[in-house]
Amino acid sequence: MFLAVFTPSESSGAPHDAALVRRLLQRDVNAFEELYDRHSRVVYGLVLRILQQTSTAEEVVQDIFLQLWRNAAQYDASRGPFLPWLLTLSRNRALDHLRLKSERQRRRENQAEQMPAVAAVPDFEARLDAKRRALRVRELIGGLQQQQRRAIELAYFEGLSHSEIAAKLQEPLGTVKSWIRNGLLKLKEGLQTPA
Amino acid sequence: MSNNQPIRDPFLELIEAYALGALEREERASLETHLATGCSECRKVLEEARWLVSQLAYLAPEAQPSEMLRGRLLKTVREDTVKDQAVPVPERPAIPLWMWGAVAAAVLFAFYNFYQARSLRQMIRQTQAALDDQVELQKKSAQELALARREAFILTDPRSITIAMPARSSDLPTLQATWHAGLGIVVSGQNLPLPAGNRTLQLWLIPKAAGAKPIPSQALRPDADGKFHLLVEDPPDTQGDTKALAITEEPAGGSQAPTTTPIWVGAVTGK
Repeated sequence: MFLAVFTPSESSGAPHDAALVRRLLQRDVNAFEELYDRHSRVVYGLVLRILQQTSTAEEVVQDIFLQLWRNAAQYDASRGPFLPWLLTLSRNRALDHLRLKSERQRRRENQAEQMPAVAAVPDFEARLDAKRRALRVRELIGGLQQQQRRAIELAYFEGLSHSEIAAKLQEPLGTVKSWIRNGLLKLKEGLQTPA
Repeated sequence: MSNNQPIRDPFLELIEAYALGALEREERASLETHLATGCSECRKVLEEARWLVSQLAYLAPEAQPSEMLRGRLLKTVREDTVKDQAVPVPERPAIPLWMWGAVAAAVLFAFYNFYQARSLRQMIRQTQAALDDQVELQKKSAQELALARREAFILTDPRSITIAMPARSSDLPTLQATWHAGLGIVVSGQNLPLPAGNRTLQLWLIPKAAGAKPIPSQALRPDADGKFHLLVEDPPDTQGDTKALAITEEPAGGSQAPTTTPIWVGAVTGK
């Protein structure tokens, strides 16, 4: 079964995040500070990985957290946990920034959503803390063959499509599609299974 | 592969790549069209795929942003808070005294106008009514004048014939009728007793033709002074065919055939 495999070892912090976001609606600066201190490292790491430039990455991170501060109501706690939502928002903003200088901009613009729609709350989201989950994700993706891992990274961090990845890796399109799908399914399966 | 295996939704194969943003435009459009149909299985898988894709963020090593970024952000949010608090609650602008005066004057002027308009409408209605009365009176006077002229003409025109209508009873005065072939008959008399109740006097034309019945004409009560003055503008028969005129007492409104014996009778004879 997909769910209910992990036994929680630590609190995931998700309920606490939701409470902090609610306090943002009351213009609580302390809540903002706490959210920033909790998540700025993972957000900045992600944005920096996508943009590869510290000054630009900091600009984008600043925009992301100011958007959170000024539009906290855009996060709907009933639709899912906060951190996946914040990470999806961060990836979208960083890729948008990347696309401003890219030929791929036009292709992605129609797809980009203003606000991320991370709605699923698999049981294991709440059963594994972020730190352990990060290790597990790295372990699972690191266990894939190099080209398969590279295909997933090109899609996630550079926003490339199947055909663009196939061209870049000089691999058949069908192979790239299978790599990505099977890699993600393996990740999903791995996150359900105790390490 | 067994033929008994359930057919898998082909769109399910696309969902992870869709959540990752790796689908080509056509595939993406096709899947979005399918999702718009409300396929619950695909929607559920998509929600899980979105969460799964968000976890790929952990592939990036965490990094510490600069303290300057933290400082800038906190400064900005604190300034936002101060701005929020500093936003003055717009006071209701005081209404100057002169404006109250202007409002009061406008209200009074409106009342005055309303009163004036109402008075004017009333005057117009009264004037219109008076004018209608005058017109009616004028019409009536004109009609009376026309009748008087007609009577005068009947009475004075030498072509008219005069018919004496003596009463059956000697204590009643004789009536006089004057008949003009083109203008009608005038019957008049004085000191007549008033018929009982609301009964009236009615004029009849007695035809020359043997066996013909009396032809009814107009009915009229004498006035309070006993004066009787009847004008028949359009007699029901001609002088030539009429043997005599008669007056009977009839119920109010007159009758189609005489109900009483004639009180006054006068033979119609040529000049």
